Amino acid sequence: MSNGNPASTRNRELLFLIPAVLLTTVGFALVYTQKSSALTWYSLLYGVIFLALFAIAHLGRRFLVPYADPYLLPVTALLSTLGILVIYRINERLALEQALWLVVGLVVFLLVLVFVRDLKMLRDYRFLIGIAGILLLVFTAVFGREINGAKLWVRLGPVGFQPAEFAKILLMIFFAAYLEDVREVLTVSTRRILGVPVPPLRYLAPLLGIWVLSMALMIFMKDLGTSLLFFGALLALIYVATGRFFYVAVGLVLFIAGSALLYKIFPHVHLRVDVWLNPWKDPANKGYQIVQSLFALAAGGLFGRGLGQGYLVLQNGHTIIPALETDFIFSAIGEELGLVGAVAIILLYLIFIFRGFRAALRARDDFSRLLATGLTTIFGLQAFLIMGGVMKLIPLTGITLPFVSYGGSSIVANFALLALLLRTSDSVARQEASAEARGEEGRARATLMPVEGVGA
Amino acid sequence: MERPLRRLFLFFTLLFVALLVMLTYVQVWAAPSLKTNPSNTRAIEEEMKIDRGTIFSADGVALAVNTKSGPYFLRRYPEGDITSPWLGYNSLQYGRAGVERAYNEDLTGQTGLLGVTNYLDTILNRAHRGADLKLTINMAVQRAAASALGDRKGAVVALDPRTGAVLAMVSFPRYDPNQIDTVWKALNADPDRPLVNRASQGLYPPGSVFKIIVAGAALQNRAVTPQTSFDDTGTYLAGGYIVHNYGGNTYGKHTFTQAFAKSINTTFAKVGVQLGASTLASFASDFGFGKSPPWTLGGSASFFPSPGSMDKAHVAQAAFGQGQVLSTPMEIALAAAAVANGGTIMKPYIVGQVLDANQKVLENAKPQMWLQPLTADTAAAVRDLMVQVVKNGTGTSAAISGVQVAGKTGTAEVATGQPHAWFAGFAPADNPRVVVAVLVENAGTGGTVAAPIARQVIAAALGQ
Repeated sequence: MSNGNPASTRNRELLFLIPAVLLTTVGFALVYTQKSSALTWYSLLYGVIFLALFAIAHLGRRFLVPYADPYLLPVTALLSTLGILVIYRINERLALEQALWLVVGLVVFLLVLVFVRDLKMLRDYRFLIGIAGILLLVFTAVFGREINGAKLWVRLGPVGFQPAEFAKILLMIFFAAYLEDVREVLTVSTRRILGVPVPPLRYLAPLLGIWVLSMALMIFMKDLGTSLLFFGALLALIYVATGRFFYVAVGLVLFIAGSALLYKIFPHVHLRVDVWLNPWKDPANKGYQIVQSLFALAAGGLFGRGLGQGYLVLQNGHTIIPALETDFIFSAIGEELGLVGAVAIILLYLIFIFRGFRAALRARDDFSRLLATGLTTIFGLQAFLIMGGVMKLIPLTGITLPFVSYGGSSIVANFALLALLLRTSDSVARQEASAEARGEEGRARATLMPVEGVGA
Repeated sequence: MERPLRRLFLFFTLLFVALLVMLTYVQVWAAPSLKTNPSNTRAIEEEMKIDRGTIFSADGVALAVNTKSGPYFLRRYPEGDITSPWLGYNSLQYGRAGVERAYNEDLTGQTGLLGVTNYLDTILNRAHRGADLKLTINMAVQRAAASALGDRKGAVVALDPRTGAVLAMVSFPRYDPNQIDTVWKALNADPDRPLVNRASQGLYPPGSVFKIIVAGAALQNRAVTPQTSFDDTGTYLAGGYIVHNYGGNTYGKHTFTQAFAKSINTTFAKVGVQLGASTLASFASDFGFGKSPPWTLGGSASFFPSPGSMDKAHVAQAAFGQGQVLSTPMEIALAAAAVANGGTIMKPYIVGQVLDANQKVLENAKPQMWLQPLTADTAAAVRDLMVQVVKNGTGTSAAISGVQVAGKTGTAEVATGQPHAWFAGFAPADNPRVVVAVLVENAGTGGTVAAPIARQVIAAALGQ
């Protein structure tokens, strides 16, 4: 049992946090000398702050979820370190704000760990949580302000925030809980239409209803990225819950039909796709952002131009790529750290996803398993959508790169997500550890998953 | 649930492998073509980190200098719009023009020994210093020419006939190269085309200044002598086309010298017809028509129709520079330079010296011969004709006391509006040090409008 010994796990995590702290210290010193051609203690401050922040996070984890996965927190630390480093290089003021959001994020992280002692608690409040998620979206649709063509922002006093970032976690909890309820009915259905098993519609209805509603809100708010995220996550959850590819196939048909419809109806979708297909038709206006992103990546080449050496900020203080510190931060990394640095980022996300799914795989109850799957899927899908978007693999959707992009809502929401994943992996390992202690591991395994393999 | 989960993770792995493949494609495989894409301003950005060389005039005035802003060197043009026709601009957004474009490799230090130190600077992450340029332009002459032309559309060219060194070149309207990024779009849309250097790119009917070439052809071919006498009745019929003199004048009996001094069209039409289309065409070509100006800044080739396409009426009109003949002011200056320099045209040039940061000369311009349309004797004979123009012909307004000026006026009639006013001349006539060509669009006669401008430019060039 790799997670069996909590002490060694915790120390391993501490060890893995060292690269993040080193990266911050060296990175900030580098960018600082680049900017002012002199090194002062001030530049090392960020490294110290980071050391303190993640030491607190580590301590919190040590006490609150001692059995949790030891890789998730260091990967998060590395991603947010790289993020704040590149943001600092783009705009010092934004980096300071981001640092404050990191503090808020860590507080939320600890609060989630303190208050969500048992995931069952979330399951019990599933309808309340689902309604809260929907309300957040409705609230944004009604009171939101449109920025860059998407209605994502809500102002709360001096702070703007994006409720969709939190709504997606709340709705994932609801989806997981509800699917746990109806999983058996969906899997063991008796009715068949054209030889295909079809579950009773009434079990699917609330799920479809909430999905249609959230999709409608997303389309109304023109937030294509989050919309796509929901769709993908829901599909993944249903597939994992039922083990039936049939649902995925139906979903994909729905997706293709829906996309074709959206492409026809909404000019902003049309534009996104056209720009993706051929940005070179209008490289100075409509295609500007993606064309400049490709130029940045090309300029980076294999090893990058070096931190602070890229052509990111124009003389007038604007970034050469609009939304560089949020949606296009991956392009900035690609230019300054090269293919090597960008591949490192991709691999870090893959490690995060792997550890997330591993936690899901080892979970002992369906709800924990589905929740971990859902959270990992939205996290991984979001990373894929924006990285694929800025390198023109897929059409661009304006979403953040988790933990790396500038943005308070995104940072705080993803720390909450991380806390829930750690809680899942902790409860698994805790049960295993106690089962092992009682020499009952074999029995514990054998009683797992009564409906396993029915649909597969 | 385990199998779907494993498959889901496999699916994610495939997605991320697709990311890795695409990223490698963009950053490594497609990178070279992306770097040279015309929409990519990063190459210029790289060059903005280079301490671009300073550009000086021959009399030591700084024309293009740098101010440092962060890692970048921003280009500044202290003399403003007056230098723009040949100095051009260096813009992050719109590229380069003029000397900034033609000598970019020198200015950025890519040539010769500076290229090697450039490589060293790159390794050591130091700002690289480009080479300085010392132009042949004399700002005293340039300023005199610009103020003489004022805000009338037209052009002035002044050069040293002995070497081809360009002393001044003025074009109006023009633009302020310091403002290029903000006004570029408006300049492109402007119907007056301020981005065009009228001196080397503008094509105009030359009118009577073309008679310098026709006179050269007639004298060299011995079709006439300066004393050959003609009789003017006010008109001359050529192939159904009636040639008139400017202003409807009738001159009666006169010599060829007087025909040149008074710019008598009927006589030149007769001489032109006598010489024939192919002789005229061949002399026009010997003087540089049909060839782009042989210097680094380029320009338009002046136009003389192909002899096969010309009937008698065309030939008669071409003999006094009307009809289909089109010329740049620079070509007219070069034609006058042939007369001033014993029949030989030197290649024009604008960069006299390339220097390194310590003002050590890296390269000196070597004057080169371009064309030799006339013998020394013919050139001297045409020069005498041109002296008479200023002494007691149409060009008396170009006269300067104490210096013998030689010249020829032109009044080129155009379809609409006032005729274009021309003057081409040089001084001192016996040992010419400066050739000047002046063109003012739709401004009146050459003698009243262009000749006084030429006088001021010549005076400035001779230090008077």
